[in-house]
Amino acid sequence: MHRVVVGVFVALIVCIGGAPASAHHSFAAEYDRDKPVTLHGTVTRIEWMNPHIYFYMDVKDEGGAIVNWAIEGGAPTSLYRAGWRKDDMKVGDAVTVNGYLARNGKKLANMRTAVLADGREVFGGQQYFTPTLPKPPGF
Amino acid sequence: MRAVWCSRMTGGLALSAILLGTGIAAAQDAQPSHPDLSGFWVNQYTPNLSTVLGGEPPFTDFGAEQWRTVDTSKDPTAICLPVGPSRAFTAPFPFQLVQGKDTIAILFEYQSIWRAIYMDGRPHPEDVADYPYFMGHSVGRWEGNVLVVDTTGIDERSWLDTAGHRHSAELRLTERFESTGANTIKWTVTFDDPVYFTRPWSIARTFTRGKPADRLLPYTCNENNKDVEQLESFQPNLNYKHVPEPATGAKPKPKPQ
Repeated sequence: MHRVVVGVFVALIVCIGGAPASAHHSFAAEYDRDKPVTLHGTVTRIEWMNPHIYFYMDVKDEGGAIVNWAIEGGAPTSLYRAGWRKDDMKVGDAVTVNGYLARNGKKLANMRTAVLADGREVFGGQQYFTPTLPKPPGF
Repeated sequence: MRAVWCSRMTGGLALSAILLGTGIAAAQDAQPSHPDLSGFWVNQYTPNLSTVLGGEPPFTDFGAEQWRTVDTSKDPTAICLPVGPSRAFTAPFPFQLVQGKDTIAILFEYQSIWRAIYMDGRPHPEDVADYPYFMGHSVGRWEGNVLVVDTTGIDERSWLDTAGHRHSAELRLTERFESTGANTIKWTVTFDDPVYFTRPWSIARTFTRGKPADRLLPYTCNENNKDVEQLESFQPNLNYKHVPEPATGAKPKPKPQ
């Protein structure tokens, strides 16, 4: 069991389902599926670019210091088909990210789901190809 | 006498009718219509082919050792090298198929890459092995309503899947595209690579027609490929134990230099 303490609250998330999808690179070569994490913070930069989106968020650590984290999501095309649009997340938004820590110990996580500023919980990966998840209108 | 004449006339007319009918049939055979596979299709994402196969493919000793020691941080796509012809059909991205009479073009969203399948009866180029392409060189033909595609000259740096199944420059693919309804294509692919596998093996997947509102979207891999700096060596199969199939008398080819 791993316990990871970051941000304004601490969470231990049970890893559900299979290994997260990542077609572009091996998930396990970059992230540890045994180290789930929940991060709550403020978005500082968004890179809606291929092959996977990145955004950055300021998160308070246990001592109250602000630490900037990098969050990797799915491919922009996959997120688009999942209903994400560029303006669903803006710099300055308060968001929560559920994901997995990087193996190299850096302030980097892979996003499984995110709770956006408006309260919507959205998936961060390749759900367009996961038939059990709802599709956006038109898809 | 009249009866005989009538009988001969009737028989002649019947024969003429049969010949005419045959002629029409022959004319139709000369210009057969094939299923139109054109459209926007969605893959079945399959990051590990062995999950479909129900076990590992029939490795040679060399192929088994490559699988046992594969380091998934070395995935060629992680540094934005193109995928191969079969992995493009199992990635979690759609593709557009444009069916012409002499050429069938397949436009993959993943890595914005293409395949051209030549349908005009040409053979593979004699020097195809000297100038490999990640997608290989493909020629196709119709067997009834099934499109059969033969591909060689596949760059050996490509992987067969995200899990790290690999192949040599001797890989030959045979793919069969069968329309199984207005909105589905059954795709069967056979991998024949005597360096990595003791015999050909096959899997089948289904392509589903994409939604009308959908379209090919941009995928420019090296636009912001930050992952490559974060990858660490990862060898998930080090405990893999190779159990060769019973010998069939065929000798596997030697390991490539």
